[in-house]
Amino acid sequence: MRSVLPKVVLLALAVSLGGGSSRLAAQQAGEPPTPPEETSCVKCHGLSDLWEGDQRRLYVPVDHLAGDVHWQKGLRCHDCHGGDTQTTNFITAHAVESGFRPVKSPAEVPDFCGHCHSDIQYMRRYNPSPRTDQVAEYWTSGHGQRLKSDGDTKVATCVSCHGGHGIRPVDDVQSPVYPTQVANTCATCHANAELMTGRQYHGRPLGHDQFELWSQGVHAQALLKKHDLASATCNDCHGNHGAVPPEVSSVANACGKCHVKVAELFDNTRMKHRFEQLDLPGCVTCHSNHAIHSPSDEMLGMQAGAVCAKCHEAGKFGATLAGAQEAREMRGKLEQLKRDIAAAKDTVARAERLGMEVRGPRFDLHKAETSLTNARSLIHSFAPEPMNTTLDEGLKVTADVQLRAEHALGQYTYRRIWLALSLVPILLVVILLLLYIRALPEPNSHA
Amino acid sequence: MSPATPEKLAPALPPKRGLRDFFVERLGLDGIQALMAKKRVPIHRSTPFYFLGGMALFLFGIQLVTGMLLSLYYKPSTDQAFESVQAIMTEVDFGWLVRSAHAWSANLLIGILFLHILTAYIMRAYRRPREMTWFSGMLLFFLFLAFGFSGYLLPWNQLAFFASSVGTALVGKVPFVGEQLLLWARGGENVTGETLVRFYALHVAVFPVIAFVLLGMHLYLVQKHGMSVPDAAVKKLGGKENVPSMPFVPHFLLRDMVGWYLALAILAALAALFPWELGEKADPFGSAPVGIKPEWYFLFMFQALRHLPAHIYGVEGEIAGVLFFGFCGIVAMLVPLLDRTATAGWPRRILNVLAAMAVIFFIVMTAWGLIE
Repeated sequence: MRSVLPKVVLLALAVSLGGGSSRLAAQQAGEPPTPPEETSCVKCHGLSDLWEGDQRRLYVPVDHLAGDVHWQKGLRCHDCHGGDTQTTNFITAHAVESGFRPVKSPAEVPDFCGHCHSDIQYMRRYNPSPRTDQVAEYWTSGHGQRLKSDGDTKVATCVSCHGGHGIRPVDDVQSPVYPTQVANTCATCHANAELMTGRQYHGRPLGHDQFELWSQGVHAQALLKKHDLASATCNDCHGNHGAVPPEVSSVANACGKCHVKVAELFDNTRMKHRFEQLDLPGCVTCHSNHAIHSPSDEMLGMQAGAVCAKCHEAGKFGATLAGAQEAREMRGKLEQLKRDIAAAKDTVARAERLGMEVRGPRFDLHKAETSLTNARSLIHSFAPEPMNTTLDEGLKVTADVQLRAEHALGQYTYRRIWLALSLVPILLVVILLLLYIRALPEPNSHA
Repeated sequence: MSPATPEKLAPALPPKRGLRDFFVERLGLDGIQALMAKKRVPIHRSTPFYFLGGMALFLFGIQLVTGMLLSLYYKPSTDQAFESVQAIMTEVDFGWLVRSAHAWSANLLIGILFLHILTAYIMRAYRRPREMTWFSGMLLFFLFLAFGFSGYLLPWNQLAFFASSVGTALVGKVPFVGEQLLLWARGGENVTGETLVRFYALHVAVFPVIAFVLLGMHLYLVQKHGMSVPDAAVKKLGGKENVPSMPFVPHFLLRDMVGWYLALAILAALAALFPWELGEKADPFGSAPVGIKPEWYFLFMFQALRHLPAHIYGVEGEIAGVLFFGFCGIVAMLVPLLDRTATAGWPRRILNVLAAMAVIFFIVMTAWGLIE
């Protein structure tokens, strides 16, 4: 600060003499609108050339402020930072007596923001039911605990994710915490190998490949390519302000936030308790954590690549051979329903193309497909009975659809046969006509 | 003097008149009856060619009846056209048969008309005073091609949609007025619901009215000028007056009826062997199905245009092709004016070469298009 001070003093003098016309000049030059210069702060903190080295963090680009949610709500520099805005005197403006609230280190950021965000009375001015637990949550997070206990000032604080100035609303697509941006925001630190080196959580290295793995997974594909904002990104499983890796016992609950039905099924299985006894992290054991790929039927069974085989083939973790047999049977029946649905679909499509009435069977095919979907969910009950019951329902519907579609095709053939047979009376009439013509007197006159 | 009987005493009553007499008196059927009795048809080696006209008329009748039945259920809109045809085929009693008969009789009609025109050409039936009969017949042929083209889109299935898109795009290749014609034909820049409504209106209202006028004129002219006798028959028998003939009723009419029944038999056989499918609903945003082809009677043109080079003497290939086929159509139309001599002279010989080339070209290109 010492090196910058003379520049600041000189500048304060300059702006007090003639700086008032700069905004008008900028507007006349057709530049983008900038926040009104209601305070003297931006006159120094808005100048890029003024701040160098360690002091660069004190530079506040004024165009950033224009998109800042606080600024848009009418809050100005002094509403967060305090100080005297009426003076261009550097010392007076930044005097603690003037109410100036300095942020001397990252460790002070959470409470700095919490000054307002943890004050429910204050926050109600802007939102009738505001959240005010973010700071409290933060101190329970991996970041907060590391900051508080270890004094690790490189951990994320509020500004690491939301930005310092130019903080956009969470539902703004340009916000770094908008669903499609969250992973990138987390990756700025968590994909940084240098930063993550040596950092551990519960004795395990944190690693730096989470973003890369997640990017290849089904959730990233859905979120980034299909723009499905409901798809999971970092904060959906880890939390946001209170971000921590889910515990072994709570993995299923994290996944179950979205995959409710599957989580409910898994919750009532022996497998879940066995996993907990073995310290295996629920869903992650089969589906992985960050690199969660689209589940496929190939995961079920005992063939190469099936997740059941990982334990049941080698009797790992006490997995039984009976379980292996059940997995085989479940897969076998699932495949049978898929084959039957495909065959029925083909028959229905053939009949449809030929113009036969198969709307009923076509509709019923959806029931079979629903059975297939339900059966896939029921894999997570780790018991053959409920899955078999559902598959049997699907197989019954499919058999019925196949029968009705074949009947329609039979009707089609039946029509063709009858149409071909109509040739008989037609040709009979032709023969009779020819016989009658032969019986007519021979025409022998001339035209 | 014999005693008076009650019958003799009764006043004289007008003779008993039946229903037939009722209509004869009011509609002047005597004249038609006399005409029928008087009308005769020449007998020679080419007499069977005369049946083609009757067969075409019979098939047109089937078109009318089946078309009317279909129009009771058909709904010309993009969201209902396919479904209504589906309902015709699945829910309406014998709707599948009516649709199949309509579609196949249309194809058969075009085929019969091809042969009818060809045989008329071979017999030189276009010469004075039958020029107008030829013109009206050719116009009817072109009209039935338009009937076929407009009707093809109506089921609004994938094949129909994309074939119509390609077909109407050719209209846009006509120099100077192509763009405007394309907009007019499609009712916009693309084949849409507007095109469907437009084609439907043309198919069921505009074209039938024109067809009735042309057909009425054609039949009147056939009646007025009688059947044309080929030169060879006249020459062989030593004069037109020596050509034997048969009464139209019942001799020719019964033979004509045999032709109708044979057309019906072919129709039934085609419908049984190759039932008209429903296909899949048109998806304008989907990709064109592989191997889309127009109806067989446009296939020679489609195939030729596909294989034309990009440019022919500086003119875009497709434009040159469209102009060429248009020119061929005009030449065919003007045959009576190009061959006006009483005996076959050099114009006839040139026309014969061109006609033979056209028939070979049609057969080869159609076969190529079908097997490709």
